[in-house]
Amino acid sequence: MILTRCLPLIWLFLLTACAGRTLYPLPGKGGKGAKLPIQTSRPYNIAHRGSNGEIPEETAPAYLRAIEEGADFIETDVLSTKDGVLICFHDFTLQNTTNVASHKEFADRNRTYEVQGSNMTGFFTFDFTLKELKKLRTKQRFSFRNQQYNGKYPIITFEEFITIARDAPRVVGIYPEIKNPVLMNQHVKWPGGVRFEDKVVETLKKYGYGGSYLSKKWLKRPLFIQSFAPSSLVYISNLIDSPKVLLIDDVTVLTEDTNQTYAEITSDVYFNYIKQYVVGIGPWKDTVVPVSNNYTQAPTDLVKRAHAHNLKVHPYTYRNENEFLHLNFSQDPYKEYEYWINEIGVDGLFTDFTGSLHNYQEWTSPLSETSKSPRQLLSQIAALVLPYEKA
Amino acid sequence: MGGVKYCLPLLLLSLLIAECASRPLYTLPSLAKSGTKKPLQTSRPFNVAHRGANGEFPEETAPSYMRAIEEGADFIESDILSTKDGVLICHHDVNLDDTTDVADHKEFADRKRTYEVQGMNMTGFFTVDFTLEELKTLGAKQRYPFRDQQYNGKFQIITLDEYIAIALDATRVAGIYPEIKNPVFINQQVKWADGKKFEDKIVATLKKYGYKGSYMSKDWLKQPIFIQSFAATSLVYISNMTDSPKVFLIDDVTILTEDTNKTYAEITSDKYLDYIKPYVVGIGPWKDTIVPVDNNRLTTPTDLVARAHSRNLQVHPYTYRNENQFLHSGFHQDAYLEYDYWINKIGVDGLFTDFTGSLHNFQELTSPLPKLQ
Repeated sequence: MILTRCLPLIWLFLLTACAGRTLYPLPGKGGKGAKLPIQTSRPYNIAHRGSNGEIPEETAPAYLRAIEEGADFIETDVLSTKDGVLICFHDFTLQNTTNVASHKEFADRNRTYEVQGSNMTGFFTFDFTLKELKKLRTKQRFSFRNQQYNGKYPIITFEEFITIARDAPRVVGIYPEIKNPVLMNQHVKWPGGVRFEDKVVETLKKYGYGGSYLSKKWLKRPLFIQSFAPSSLVYISNLIDSPKVLLIDDVTVLTEDTNQTYAEITSDVYFNYIKQYVVGIGPWKDTVVPVSNNYTQAPTDLVKRAHAHNLKVHPYTYRNENEFLHLNFSQDPYKEYEYWINEIGVDGLFTDFTGSLHNYQEWTSPLSETSKSPRQLLSQIAALVLPYEKA
Repeated sequence: MGGVKYCLPLLLLSLLIAECASRPLYTLPSLAKSGTKKPLQTSRPFNVAHRGANGEFPEETAPSYMRAIEEGADFIESDILSTKDGVLICHHDVNLDDTTDVADHKEFADRKRTYEVQGMNMTGFFTVDFTLEELKTLGAKQRYPFRDQQYNGKFQIITLDEYIAIALDATRVAGIYPEIKNPVFINQQVKWADGKKFEDKIVATLKKYGYKGSYMSKDWLKQPIFIQSFAATSLVYISNMTDSPKVFLIDDVTILTEDTNKTYAEITSDKYLDYIKPYVVGIGPWKDTIVPVDNNRLTTPTDLVARAHSRNLQVHPYTYRNENQFLHSGFHQDAYLEYDYWINKIGVDGLFTDFTGSLHNFQELTSPLPKLQ
């Protein structure tokens, strides 16, 4: 009698025991304290659009590969879809890095818009809903890079990107860019007068990002927010205390939001102003060290002045291919890393080849030598003192 | 009294001349005994500067070789050809079109000829149609348009003697790695007095500068050398003349040997390796035949290295280049990954590289030489 009554109960118990969540945290998702922390003793290895030297940019595999190869940060450009979803994508048009052109159903989306003063024609991200974008497949932008993954991987959302970082077996930072905010805010409207920048910050906060540079909170979830638009960085300065970086384009390009020249935004006066809002600058490397006849010339004083204002410098972009390497580097990307890290003294590098930079850093400044635990330091000091003890 | 009057000024003058113009009685520091020079490293694969540091400078020129030595090359490599008047020069191609400004020299316009070289007709300006004096009026240029063009027209073709002098003058022991290049063609086109052949003349020059000694002998370590050739008969021919170590070069799988018309399969067979073994210390294969490539991806390695090593034959593949068009996909456009693969996975004994500095860097970073006590 009692047994048949209890049977459903027993069945329910068995069900719960077998299929319910375990009471202990999964090893892969161990307490944050158990993860190998981010290194802070040598310049940051920033995986520019993921490991896009090998895999189509800004895809999940490109980011996973970068983490595997030792990136300190995975970098991305945040844009918006038609329905206001934040995605990871560099160009505001889709034709260079996806197979949109082969999707007949979207043929009528080829449009012309004015962007930063010039007319541009193409398939714009903000003319597609997320669902539609997810039908597309990415392709490798550069013809001289590996084409074998073309058509395989979809565009990912900003949230998916964050999840990749969060799920990594060691602490991996993220480096999202508020990309083309003027264009995004023109073409995408969120309810309640919320702006593109608000949505980016909202997403970051949702996943627990925050904390000033090198704070305990920041070290758990390292983050730099970058943008070419200083007004966007200023706008979010009250919303989130995470470190921000002002990107600086070529000497002929005006800022997209404030129409300021290169000379203006790299002046001491401007550094004095902007350093209240950012921890560093991200300049195009050929403006830091000008190039003539494909040879680097004498460096400008940009890095010196930035450092004098306590601003970090994270130039972009380092690439292995000889077409990008200036001749004095003998077609050797390691020579280029050596120059920028040891002679120019930058604090981080945006690279398309995470593995090569990691290799270089591991061989020339291995972490075991540059960052020691207190115990290691003490034993090292003891070893130094010992010979003199019995003097 | 009169005698002294004459002698004194003469004596003083002589002393003055002697003081100013004579040789010092001590040896110049730069010509110190080679025993004091930093020796050749023999504990890791040889860094062979293929045509000098030709990633940076026009190939086979003096600056290219000096740069290679500066960058850490163990050996500087060269191809020996001949001029019309039988002078041995360093030049890779039998013709001058791709690596010199000969096309700009109107005075040589009528030297354009067609010859059959290794079974194919070739048209151009051939080294064997120019005397040394004429060749010296040409300016070398960078073969590849994607490499540094700034030295075009600045440097001359050098002779075998000049190349050897660069190696001997180096402040550390720098080996040479000359190739007996296109011997069949050269012997057809150039005749030396006394019935000597191209190979004889090369060996004579090497001996003149004191190159001798079997591999790793004391003599060899003072002046290291490998003599290389695609023509096995040339290597066999000189085997009695010099005990310097020789290396048998092996071209692509479709190419027949220029002297014996043998196939790749034949000259890499166990039988042939057993035959050639008494004459050479190693082989120098084209790297894409050791590890075949499909769609720019490396496939499974062949057993060539294993079979060579089992016969105590060294393997020095060619050629390693930094540019991404030469790097196969698995290396992610990173030449150091290619070095890592060939040195640590395949286990080669030497590498012909266009980028001496990069290979040296890689080796210094991953297998630094033990510091001398």
